[in-house]
Amino acid sequence: MHRDEIPPGTLYLLILRTLARSGEMHGYEIASSIQQISEDVLRVEEGSLYPALQRMLIKGWVTAKWGTTAGNRRARYYQLTAAGRKQLAVEMSQFDRVIGAITRVIEAV
Amino acid sequence: MDWLRELARRLSMLMHRRQFDADLEEEVRLHLELRQEERLESGMTANEARAAARRRFGNATYLKEESRIAWGWEWFENLAQDVHHGARMLRKSPGFTAVAILTLALGIGANTAIFSVINGVLLSPLPYKNPKQLVVIKENDSLPNVMDIQRQTRAFSQGGGINVEKMDYIGATEPVQVRVGLIDEGFLETLGVQPMLGRIISSGEDVQGGPRLAMVSNHFWQNYLGSDPHAAGNTIQLGGNSYTVIGVMPASFALPAEHADVFVSLMVRDPGAGAERDLHFMHTYWRLKAGVTLAQAQADMAAIDRRLAEQYPAEEKERKSQLVPLHEWLVGDVRAALLVLFGAVGLVLLIACANFASLLMMRAVAERQELVIRAALGAGRGRLVRKTLTQSLLLSVFGGAAGLLFAKWGTSLLLALRPEELARLSGIHMDTRVLLFVLVISVLTGIVFGMAPAWIAARSDVAEALKKSGRSTTASTMGHNIRKILVTSELAVALVLLVGAGLLIKGFSRLRSMNPGFNSANVMTMYLQLPTTRYGEIPKQTQFRRELLTRLNSLPGVQVAMVTDIPLGGNYVGHRFVIDGRSPVAVGGEPKVQTLSVMGDYFHVMQIPLRVGRDFTPLDREEQPLVAVVNEEMVREFLPHENPIGVRIRWAGDTGPPQWMTVIGVVADVKHSGLNQPTDPAVYTPFSQSDEAWRRFMTLAIRARDAAPGLVEEVKKQIWSVDSQIPVSDVHAMDELIAVSLAQQRFNMLLLGLFAVLALILAAVGIYGAMAYAVNQRTHEIGIRTALGAQRRDVLRLVMRDGAKIVLFGIASGIAGALALTRLMASLLFEVKPTDPATFAGVAILLALVALAACYIPARRAMRVDPMVALRYE
Repeated sequence: MHRDEIPPGTLYLLILRTLARSGEMHGYEIASSIQQISEDVLRVEEGSLYPALQRMLIKGWVTAKWGTTAGNRRARYYQLTAAGRKQLAVEMSQFDRVIGAITRVIEAV
Repeated sequence: MDWLRELARRLSMLMHRRQFDADLEEEVRLHLELRQEERLESGMTANEARAAARRRFGNATYLKEESRIAWGWEWFENLAQDVHHGARMLRKSPGFTAVAILTLALGIGANTAIFSVINGVLLSPLPYKNPKQLVVIKENDSLPNVMDIQRQTRAFSQGGGINVEKMDYIGATEPVQVRVGLIDEGFLETLGVQPMLGRIISSGEDVQGGPRLAMVSNHFWQNYLGSDPHAAGNTIQLGGNSYTVIGVMPASFALPAEHADVFVSLMVRDPGAGAERDLHFMHTYWRLKAGVTLAQAQADMAAIDRRLAEQYPAEEKERKSQLVPLHEWLVGDVRAALLVLFGAVGLVLLIACANFASLLMMRAVAERQELVIRAALGAGRGRLVRKTLTQSLLLSVFGGAAGLLFAKWGTSLLLALRPEELARLSGIHMDTRVLLFVLVISVLTGIVFGMAPAWIAARSDVAEALKKSGRSTTASTMGHNIRKILVTSELAVALVLLVGAGLLIKGFSRLRSMNPGFNSANVMTMYLQLPTTRYGEIPKQTQFRRELLTRLNSLPGVQVAMVTDIPLGGNYVGHRFVIDGRSPVAVGGEPKVQTLSVMGDYFHVMQIPLRVGRDFTPLDREEQPLVAVVNEEMVREFLPHENPIGVRIRWAGDTGPPQWMTVIGVVADVKHSGLNQPTDPAVYTPFSQSDEAWRRFMTLAIRARDAAPGLVEEVKKQIWSVDSQIPVSDVHAMDELIAVSLAQQRFNMLLLGLFAVLALILAAVGIYGAMAYAVNQRTHEIGIRTALGAQRRDVLRLVMRDGAKIVLFGIASGIAGALALTRLMASLLFEVKPTDPATFAGVAILLALVALAACYIPARRAMRVDPMVALRYE
């Protein structure tokens, strides 16, 4: 099956949206969730999640704490902060604007 | 505030770096494991599942690195690593480290010491309000003129004058002389000083017949008024009068050029002298109005001078007031010397740095193997350069810190050596500017002189270096060439310094062997001043003087005479004079001579040789024909073609019938104002024939057969047996006065000499290091030569030839440099040309000998190379 790379710059948006939907998640869960919901079209190069998560930690959009998985393993869970929610709104409206513009350009006769 | 919180998070990550790494490691492992399990479930083999998980994850090492870099501490970690590594390398070779740090510490320490002097003397502002506005008029002036300038000026906002006079103060345990500043009302205000207690004099009080008021220095207040907070209102006895203390100056206040403990109004204290327009005895200080330039003020002053000259042709005909900024006036003489010393000490630092760079280069070559391996393993060039630079910076910063200790020690040495003119040295201390100087100079040294070795490190050709594990790669030959250049320049710079020091030493010895015109051995001097109240008239003064000399000369083994101003004592009085029979000169345009009054056998006591005619005798006294003795310079300048004996002269500007004095003798010239100063024409007259009652002062010249320890006390006792209220001051041996007059030259010579010796040692170490290293590098070659039958002599010649080439080049370029640079110190030299060939030759030979000796040590080692050992040495 053909899988598309995610458009550049949207990785933050995807992570923020995913975390907003389901509260706490660890890295593997975030990657899997993005892949499932996008019905396998969007596949993140999974490793690149981690530098992105670090940058989001620095910005204060997410916090991280260690917990245990269902399989009883130690995992680092990420959670959205208030700043993260605000950022999600910003990224969403930005994304809408860009997509809207692209759509208009494509559909113009 | 978001950036603050972000910084806090970044910092917290920095603190917990280890934890961070462990966490990231675990997180990535978990991810891979979970993905692997998922793949296993979909039916893959374990190996396939692991490979798939890794493929999907991407380059884990790279991504972990990215995650770390995101936090922005990469530079810091590299730096910490470099510092750590550098420190380890330095610890591994303590000898190298110690030599490098010591070399730099010497250079930086000497520079810092001189810089702190320059900082204190030249750079720090004067301790007055808006000191840049303050100017002085170089020429002394009289109070009436000062007041006219104050009225007429359009350039100055304030101005005033002072003349410091010694007056006796009764109230301490014995009568003492204090220095009293006779001032006008504008003086203290011009300097902008606020009294610590009480007030300063007001314009209404600064008038003839005004109240006797005194302002005292903090020092006087502490010593004589018991630091009494209610001192204002106290009465003090000064020069036979009572003065009411109205103010106490703050401890921070000091006069710009002289010292005074009490300030009183000149108009109150001495209305007679204050009213004399042609008595130019006040130093005047002026404050420029805001926005007025020195040139504008000078133009305005010239206009005032013209008006005064027109108005008072008799007194002020030749007025020419020169304005000088106060700071420049104060440091003018010292500036040249300090700048030369700073230049010299800068050269010492250059030599030290060259040695430092040379040491580093040796290290760079020694560590090349390691660097090459690092480069082969992918370390970037930038990183390698940074690593080498970090090491040199570490050394230079340690060197700077150690240099600071040297500097502290050096400044106290400077303070001990300081000449009078560097009075402002007392304000010298390590302030932030000095510390900044050390920091900048250390870091610059580390970077600039660490650059060459770093460059060599970076240029190392990996492939070639790995191929040849041997010695003679391009980097090392290049390093060797650079070192040769460094050593050559070190020798050149050392030569420049040695020439400078040599010139100063030669000038100083000339100065010392200068004949002062008198014999200073076994002569004590002391200064007396008679109070106006009891000695206002000349006969009373004469009576005191005669009585005193009679008593003193009856002491066994002692010969005493007196003179108004003792040579090298710093005081000088000049008068205009007229020669009988010459065509008249315009009033105010007559020539000037130094005038001295003497009593007793002055020329005999001072051993000033009589050239022609006769000496004064006790018969040359009041009521007798007026007589004068002149010096040889006076004859040379004014009476060159006639017999001076019998010529009649008189003082210009005398009113009444002319008082002709007959020249009866000629004495040898005396260096009155300093051994390096020209002698002025001078006229000596007997005290008893003086008509100037204001010359109430005198300096005793006491020649004792051997310096009896109780002599000074005995003399004082005799003085007080004549009058118990005469203060005695300025008790000095004549030899001491000569030493003081040589102090500045001595200071320059000692310091430059010290720097030159330092330079010589550093340069010798430098050439020794270079040669020793070269011999070490060539052990193999020398071994082969010896095996092929070369004699020890040949080996010696081989090595020495290399060294001699460097020495010759160094000396040749040093001579060229010295010829260009010593001109700058011409003003510091006394009767020595900056290009004195004997000094140049002597110094070149000295340097050559020392440098060749330094080469000889490694050359001897080369001679003893055992061919078998050398050939195995690989």
